Amino acid sequence: MTNAARLRQVWTIARLQLTRVFFSKRSFWVYLLAFFPAVIFFAHGVEVKFKRDRYTSRVTPSSVLDAIRAGDSEGDVLRQAPGPVSDERYRPRRRRRGPDAEQQRTPDRRFLAYWDGSKRWELNFEDGILQTKRARPLNDFEEDRQVYAGVFQYFYLRLAIFFGCLGIFMNLFRGEMLDKTLHFWFLIPARREVLLAGKYLAGLIAAVVIFGSGAALSFALMLWPQDPTALQTFWATDGLSHVFWYSAAAALACVGYGSVFLASGLLLRNPIIPAVTILFWESINGILPAMLQKLSVLYYVEALCPVPPPMDSNAPLLIRLLAAPAEPPTAAFAVLGLLALTALVLFVASRAVRNIEVNYGVE
Amino acid sequence: MAVYKRGYQRYQGPLTSPASRLLVLPRFAWERLMQQRLISILFIVALFWPTGCALFIYLSHHLDLLQGMGGAATAKIFDINAEFFFIFMNAQATFAIILAAFAGPSLIAPDLSNGALPLYFSRPMSRSTYVLSRMLVLVGVLSPVTWIPGGLLFLMQSGMAGWDWFSANWHIGAAIVAGFFFWILLVSLVAMASSAYVRWRMIAGALVLGIFFILAGASELANAVLRVEWASAFNPTRATLQLWRALLGLEPFPGPDEYECFAALVLMIGLLAAILNRKLRPVEVVS
Amino acid sequence: MSTPNSPIGPAAATPMSTAATAPEVLFDDVSKFYGEVLGVNRVTLRIPPGITSLVGPNGSGKTTLMNLMAGLIHPDRGVITMRGLSPRHPERLMRILGYATQYDSAPRGSTGLDFVTTGLILTGFSSAEASTRAQAALHRVRMAEASRRKVASYSKGMRQRIRLAQAIAHDPDILVLDEPLNGLDPLVRAETIALFREYAALGRHVILSSHVLQEVDIISDQVILIANGMIIAEGQIRSVREEIHQHPSQFVIRCRDASRIASLLFEHDHITQIKMQDDRLGLLVMTRNRADFSRALTRISLAGHTVESIVPADENMGALYEYLIGGDR
Repeated sequence: MTNAARLRQVWTIARLQLTRVFFSKRSFWVYLLAFFPAVIFFAHGVEVKFKRDRYTSRVTPSSVLDAIRAGDSEGDVLRQAPGPVSDERYRPRRRRRGPDAEQQRTPDRRFLAYWDGSKRWELNFEDGILQTKRARPLNDFEEDRQVYAGVFQYFYLRLAIFFGCLGIFMNLFRGEMLDKTLHFWFLIPARREVLLAGKYLAGLIAAVVIFGSGAALSFALMLWPQDPTALQTFWATDGLSHVFWYSAAAALACVGYGSVFLASGLLLRNPIIPAVTILFWESINGILPAMLQKLSVLYYVEALCPVPPPMDSNAPLLIRLLAAPAEPPTAAFAVLGLLALTALVLFVASRAVRNIEVNYGVE
Repeated sequence: MAVYKRGYQRYQGPLTSPASRLLVLPRFAWERLMQQRLISILFIVALFWPTGCALFIYLSHHLDLLQGMGGAATAKIFDINAEFFFIFMNAQATFAIILAAFAGPSLIAPDLSNGALPLYFSRPMSRSTYVLSRMLVLVGVLSPVTWIPGGLLFLMQSGMAGWDWFSANWHIGAAIVAGFFFWILLVSLVAMASSAYVRWRMIAGALVLGIFFILAGASELANAVLRVEWASAFNPTRATLQLWRALLGLEPFPGPDEYECFAALVLMIGLLAAILNRKLRPVEVVS
Repeated sequence: MSTPNSPIGPAAATPMSTAATAPEVLFDDVSKFYGEVLGVNRVTLRIPPGITSLVGPNGSGKTTLMNLMAGLIHPDRGVITMRGLSPRHPERLMRILGYATQYDSAPRGSTGLDFVTTGLILTGFSSAEASTRAQAALHRVRMAEASRRKVASYSKGMRQRIRLAQAIAHDPDILVLDEPLNGLDPLVRAETIALFREYAALGRHVILSSHVLQEVDIISDQVILIANGMIIAEGQIRSVREEIHQHPSQFVIRCRDASRIASLLFEHDHITQIKMQDDRLGLLVMTRNRADFSRALTRISLAGHTVESIVPADENMGALYEYLIGGDR
């Protein structure tokens, strides 16, 4: 059989498998994972647009807001600027017991927000006295891009694509074994490696399409409520490059995790073991020696992300350490490195698939 | 009716009590679980942290053993208070999730995938009894790594610190037991609902982990994008920690308070119970 | 990928198509263990074309042998050759082999038609050709009407037939069938047996397992008896019977003067037992030496006694099974 004929077989297998991956009931959860951020970004966009409409009826001149100083009382502020767009009070319950409870009690807080036509002014009171005042745009594009970077790196790469690929690629062989249908594929006149390639291709196409479009839609919805001028500048400078690299990172994450979970599905019966191990391995990757860092999917794909994610300064030291990105490689090295890692894993998988046996009794 | 009269006679001897019948399933399940090497290893690993905490409590009452480390600063480090027990509970909660992910799905998924439910339900056993007996298995598995070591640590501290400490802090002991029981209930329901939902033992285990990790990620995502804090209530771990802080009398985390978190957790428990109710039926649906 | 053009059914193919390859299924010292559990042990077999039945108790290793033939499992030792091809090379083997497994699940959500058509598309047929062949195979097993229903909703017998359709759809040279007659109604059963005979008549292999010993008697050209993972006997039923010396051969003789013939036969040492049939026109004779018995009967005939018929009473699978494996089926 010629290689061209084998390639046609790969495509036939992938085509048949694709229908199952895209339209099976189980895929609902993968779609949910991929498009959940888009729903949240959409809600955020609606909220920003709604607020913008609402605020325009309650504009307070910036000169009035400039005159307000820290140390002013709530009453003074409300007399000078009687039309806040938002007024929120917090009276925490006292729960600390013991003799030092009074010293450590949390003060009553009040947040007032004003709109001067272009910026939102946020005033923070403690026990009725103004502590801080800051003005910022209703929707900060830079901040939103940072948030998206965080969503992409922490949610998409570490959770959604990770668990999504776990579901999709484990299902390709181990799922068929559990369904007692793997023999159907083993009884076709195709090399096991061809079968592996076909199934991997199907999983990869599905994962890239689902997660790529999820990430792209989230990105588009993040841009939706932004100021048109800022958007114009963004597209003229970094826009296309950001879209390209986020898409590339999502696709390469699917390539990498897909191969790892496909191989795990062939080598191990229990997916929890690789899931826990790989999750742990990827989490601690940032603190591993340089050589070991290169045996991680995140090491390569995080290097492709155009915006570094924000780090919560309140996060515990250990968490910050674990989430710290590894020493980043260059983009070319990241792509080639990940492809080399994938090729290595797929080679191991191709060895395993040759020897895998249909033995449903032990599942 | 000749055949009936001659050949069939209903059993009229004594039956075991419903309570003891409830324990039949857990008894066999415990035995089977304990034969798994991985579960044994996880058990042992899960007891490292309580052992370390016990050592810490001991040292806190014997600071003289630490040569050259006297003084108020050291005493503060070794202060055994509600925060100490909160940290202990936090770590053990993670082990409980991992143990439930490995042990939980083997309880229900095989029954569903092998069509064994009709066999159970053709006995004097209702669906709620079945769920309860399966949950008892997880209570038995998770207790030795949660409230039992927690309670022992509390008793150890009480014994070493004296009656005054106990009378001032008895609520910590109650919080440990109540908090962990609530956590066991939640984790068990997640494990059982996952295995009832996917019917695959192996996949259900991964799903248990996925639910806890992904809900945590999704709630943080919603908080970050919408610039809110209420989404933390839908992170079961975070919501439970908030509840525990309230039970322990600690300052709450920022975000939804303990009542809101409790409401979200009750909602989640209701949802999981509904999944079990829908999936645990002695019928086969051909799709 | 080449697209085979021959229509469905054995009649469309010629025995010449198999002549180029070694037309035998060979097992050379094959063993298979599942961990510490024995599957089959040191099996050496040479299966010629025709219908071969694998017979043995539950768990004896029949399915293991079949799975080894199809490459679904691999031997721990030994070599298997299927008409010159190794099961390690499915790319070539599966073009000439059709396997109806014991697993009755089909890929999730697929209809009977999908199940058969998909297999053909994966074999390399064009969609149109695959559809034509699938319809023909489904028609052959009387599943055309139900073919658009999901396999999950099929009865046991229908699942059996759909698996058979999938196994024959690409017109293979080797048919491996695990309990193919289970759950079939009498009409379809008869048609299925006829199909096997057509395949065998074309010089192909039909290897099947069955618990229905009467059917094995009727359809098999040769049998393989297996127990505890080991081959107990193989060959044509008659030759296997001839090899069993510890059990006397049984013959039913129909004749007019049964009492006289019985007394004449008793003069021979190799006769161990004779039973008179109720109508006194027949004898059940047990002999330790079939050749001597034949000579003795010839002499009795020549002496003027009328012998209407002589039929072997234990040259059947039931008897072989009982002698070699035991009464527990």
